[in-house]
Amino acid sequence: MDRRTFLKIAGVGGLSFAAGCTSQPAKTLYSLVHAPDDMVPGMATWYGSTCRECPAGCGVLAKNREGRIVKVEGNPLHPINQGSLCIRGQAALQGIYNPDRIKTPLLKEGGSFRSVTYAEAEALLHAKTQEAAKKGKDRVRIVTEIVGESLLKLMSESLHNWGSGEPLVFEPYGYEALKEANMQVFGLEGLPSYLLNNADFLLSFGADFVETWLSPVEYARKFKDMHAFNGSSKSLFFQVSPYESITGANADVWFSCAPDSESAVALGLLRESVRQGKVKSLPENIRAVIEEISAPYSSDKVSELSGLPPELLQKIYVHLHTARRPLILGTPTGALGTSTLQTNIAANLLNLVFDPALSLIDFGNRQRVELAARRSEVLKFFSEVGSGEVDLLVLNNVNPVYALPPKSGVREALNRDDLFVVSFSNFMDETSELADLILPVRLPLETWDEYGGKVGMVSTLQPTMGSMSAWPNLGDLLLRVGLGRQRPYKNYQAYLYAQFSLNGTIQDERDWLQALENGGIFGPKSRMGRPGLSLSSTFGSAFSAPPRHKKAELVLLAIPSIRFFDGRGANKPWLCEVPDTVTQVAWQTPILLHHETLAKHGLKQGDIVQVESRWGQLEAPVYESPGVHSSVAGMGIGQGHTAYGRYAEGQGLNPVMLLPPELEPRSGAPFFTAGPIALKNTGRSIQLAHNDGSRIQHDRKIALSVNVSNLAYSKPHEGHGLSMWEYPLVLPLPGAYDEKTRDIYPPHQHVDYRWAMVVDLDKCVGCAACAAACYAENNLGVVGEQRVVEGREMAWLQIQRYEAEQRREKITFLPMLCQHCDDAPCESVCPVFAPHHSKEGINNQIYNRCIGTRFCSQDCPYKVRRFNWFKWQWPPPLNLQLNPEVTARTKGVMEKCSFCIQRIKDAHNRAKNENRKIRDGEVKPACLQTCPTGVFTFGSLMDEDSEVSKKVRDKRAYQVMGYLNTKPAVIYLKKVVQDI
Amino acid sequence: MQDRFNSENAFSTTLKRNRWPLLLAFLSLLGTVLFLYFFYDYATDIGPQQPIPFSHRVHAGVKNIQCQFCHPYVDRSKFPGIPPVEKCLYCHNYIIKKFPWIQKEHEYYNTNTPTPWVKVNYVPEFVFFNHERHIKKKLACEECHGQVKTMDRLKENRFFMGFCVDCHRKKKANLGCWLACHN
Repeated sequence: MDRRTFLKIAGVGGLSFAAGCTSQPAKTLYSLVHAPDDMVPGMATWYGSTCRECPAGCGVLAKNREGRIVKVEGNPLHPINQGSLCIRGQAALQGIYNPDRIKTPLLKEGGSFRSVTYAEAEALLHAKTQEAAKKGKDRVRIVTEIVGESLLKLMSESLHNWGSGEPLVFEPYGYEALKEANMQVFGLEGLPSYLLNNADFLLSFGADFVETWLSPVEYARKFKDMHAFNGSSKSLFFQVSPYESITGANADVWFSCAPDSESAVALGLLRESVRQGKVKSLPENIRAVIEEISAPYSSDKVSELSGLPPELLQKIYVHLHTARRPLILGTPTGALGTSTLQTNIAANLLNLVFDPALSLIDFGNRQRVELAARRSEVLKFFSEVGSGEVDLLVLNNVNPVYALPPKSGVREALNRDDLFVVSFSNFMDETSELADLILPVRLPLETWDEYGGKVGMVSTLQPTMGSMSAWPNLGDLLLRVGLGRQRPYKNYQAYLYAQFSLNGTIQDERDWLQALENGGIFGPKSRMGRPGLSLSSTFGSAFSAPPRHKKAELVLLAIPSIRFFDGRGANKPWLCEVPDTVTQVAWQTPILLHHETLAKHGLKQGDIVQVESRWGQLEAPVYESPGVHSSVAGMGIGQGHTAYGRYAEGQGLNPVMLLPPELEPRSGAPFFTAGPIALKNTGRSIQLAHNDGSRIQHDRKIALSVNVSNLAYSKPHEGHGLSMWEYPLVLPLPGAYDEKTRDIYPPHQHVDYRWAMVVDLDKCVGCAACAAACYAENNLGVVGEQRVVEGREMAWLQIQRYEAEQRREKITFLPMLCQHCDDAPCESVCPVFAPHHSKEGINNQIYNRCIGTRFCSQDCPYKVRRFNWFKWQWPPPLNLQLNPEVTARTKGVMEKCSFCIQRIKDAHNRAKNENRKIRDGEVKPACLQTCPTGVFTFGSLMDEDSEVSKKVRDKRAYQVMGYLNTKPAVIYLKKVVQDI
Repeated sequence: MQDRFNSENAFSTTLKRNRWPLLLAFLSLLGTVLFLYFFYDYATDIGPQQPIPFSHRVHAGVKNIQCQFCHPYVDRSKFPGIPPVEKCLYCHNYIIKKFPWIQKEHEYYNTNTPTPWVKVNYVPEFVFFNHERHIKKKLACEECHGQVKTMDRLKENRFFMGFCVDCHRKKKANLGCWLACHN
């Protein structure tokens, strides 16, 4: 009797017992009353829209299946993101389907909310506006997140009707210092775009353009256009900042400077350029000021302030001097010290010195977020509210109570008895809690609107699905309440149409439909002209009082987060579950400390410390980080909500609580730093919810890098031996088997295709958009903090991070997924043949065969198999997001990456219908589809001319732990590093 | 002999003495059999009750309406599609429009409620059957769904792997686990 028969017989008893008990309740079939033209059950319809998870405004396509959207992907036609999307964009769905979404308007009575109807709420809003308008001028105010031109205009018109001024555009990330620096140097109070892709040397003073800075998807792509290995060489990117963000981890060198010393470094570079005669071409008055302001910053002085040795500064200067097209970027949003404005001015001046034509700054394409009010204006506004000058305050999707330091007075202002606060929020967040009326409106993916991430760009929004409740469209609501009876438009859609017709964007109905179909109107028309720049030397005054540069023992830096942005992402379980790629910590907000700081305070990783600043205190778990300066404590912004739904509330910590309410006086920017802070060991400790087994590779040939100078000599796939470092690259093809030396199993024969993936480590920036896309596409369970601590996370694709053993701040990111080995260790140990090798080379996991022995996971050297220890929950309506083309696995079943088999089958289907073979590049797994930098290539190795076949012949190609002779079908290209 | 006689006598005495309990037992047995005959066998074997007693025999058999008329997506999607309420009424606005069940269909239409047709064909959740591929391979609907033309109410049909694999083997069709059915 073989083992299969034995198991069959052994199973019979249990089965027959179980069979007697099954009774499936009758299910009804999916059917409709009217059949819409654009819906075929079983097939997806894609609607173009615009992402509103941050102000960048990427184009999205929403995949609608049977009336609900199950996935969002980047719009390939959209000029900003060109088809890719970041982690937050992928998670937009979990806003729509969030179980904590408010479904009816809520009216506060006697301190608690009660549900009212939309008609009542609207009537109340109308009555309140009329009442306030009668009292006089400026009694009604609107605070809104950044919105499109049309909606902003409608708000202005409404406010005008109520006798009030313009709405306040509030964004926690307002880039005040950058705007002020542009004003002072270029005479333009705005935020131009940067052509990173055209640069050959990039120097950033902390700008986190991979994570949140201005337009992260666009800049991640442009950065890799410039920085990826081009076959012979590679451009340079330096970052000077007190902490290593994900962007910093991608720098060829991260120069760890003392906090608030970036300006000294920038001015030191300016001084050097003056000495080298680089400023001669500039106008006399500007030259004189540059000479004056940079004069004090000799390399010794800079070295003293920043802690960078003079020879390193000299190196930065040499690269800047010799580069043909250098580009210098300023600081992240928010002031990281008193000299942030100076840093940005100096960065602008460096651009002017080294590229007098400013050819890499695209002044004609300005970020829409430049319309956001400065923090100084925001605080002034709330102090007016607090002093009783306003009767009715309308909030549109803003959370100032969370995003502003506690001492800013926002909570007190909103709490005033004589103030009626209306919030359009869909979630009970810290600000909505204080509102008197919560009137939830549709979220961006359900609504008609327009939002151009760049000023003048036309990018449309349309409902991509039916609404799950009676939420009104914000535009419609404003039309009814704001314009009243005199409104000439029947709804907001008509209003948008009229706006577009008026400004000549569209001529007729056909243009309108075309715009909706494409997700906007993208062409040379949407570009603004380059404004005339008026260089002046007024910036000198910013340096009149030299920055204090006082040496603090330890300062706190609040770091904008790629996952939560300013905190708005914290209620989306995917964003909590996918770990921060630099720390690999999920769900928690650790405090990042340098090992010297740990030693000084007698702390170790996982200890809970009490962090105290002048303005507040909290208790945070310690993370030992090589990526912060020794006098810096870093904490990510975004978690630590006291409200905002089950996933956000009480999860992680909010460093904003420690920040000062005062502003940087010259630019009106908020401080994202607090110092000095005191650390106190509480004696308690927790286990961090981190996903990395080890920070280093222990020489196991996992995430490899190669020096650019060595690439010229190395031969492809060197080595012929059987030892670890001599092992050749063995492709997962029958021809690669060598039964004389290393193989005992016969080769697998493949039919037509042998699917394989090439992962270019040189392009991976570690943004983890792929990981979130995988969660969305493949119905992965979200396990929560406790289970992550237990190592039970379900990610099919992880961005692993490895620190170099000697210089630990040097980081390599490695996307790790099922390697679809040709000699798969998992296949040979399963007693029931649940992992199974397909004729197209893919390692199938047959869920209904799996009996949960977990032998396969034990045997997998890559540790990519995930076991369902529990039946994971998707609290309704989160379950509506589940991809109907992928089985939702249940308890007791092993699962892992399938190379998105459902997409391969779709391609097969199309190819069969058209009687052809699948084209190279036709199958796009979810990770590949969303990657902003083009890390992944997918295709068949049986096709000699396919992209993957070409890339596996690259000199950099290797297999992770290939010496185990598993013959992985995921082939990595080594990261290219360079010495300076 | 005497013993046998006696015992026979004893048997009939016992029978007589337990007349009522025995009758009760017999009646309840009869009741059970009748119950099973009428309700168990009868009610399950003709399939679940539908919200409207739609007859495939009348539509597909007698009237000879093609399957694709009501299930139009069968050759271009994974699912064949169930006719929307409006489609039923295209014809039934003219044909037997006063019939109570058609009135009920009108009610569904007027209240914007999709008709809650009960599912009769089951494949397990981890199986992704694609109608399009089978229709494009010129498989007749009857090969899997049987003689629908002769059935008033459709019987519940659970498809098992053996059924699929037999045919896939016979026709030399795809037998890859993920590539064919599962994922």
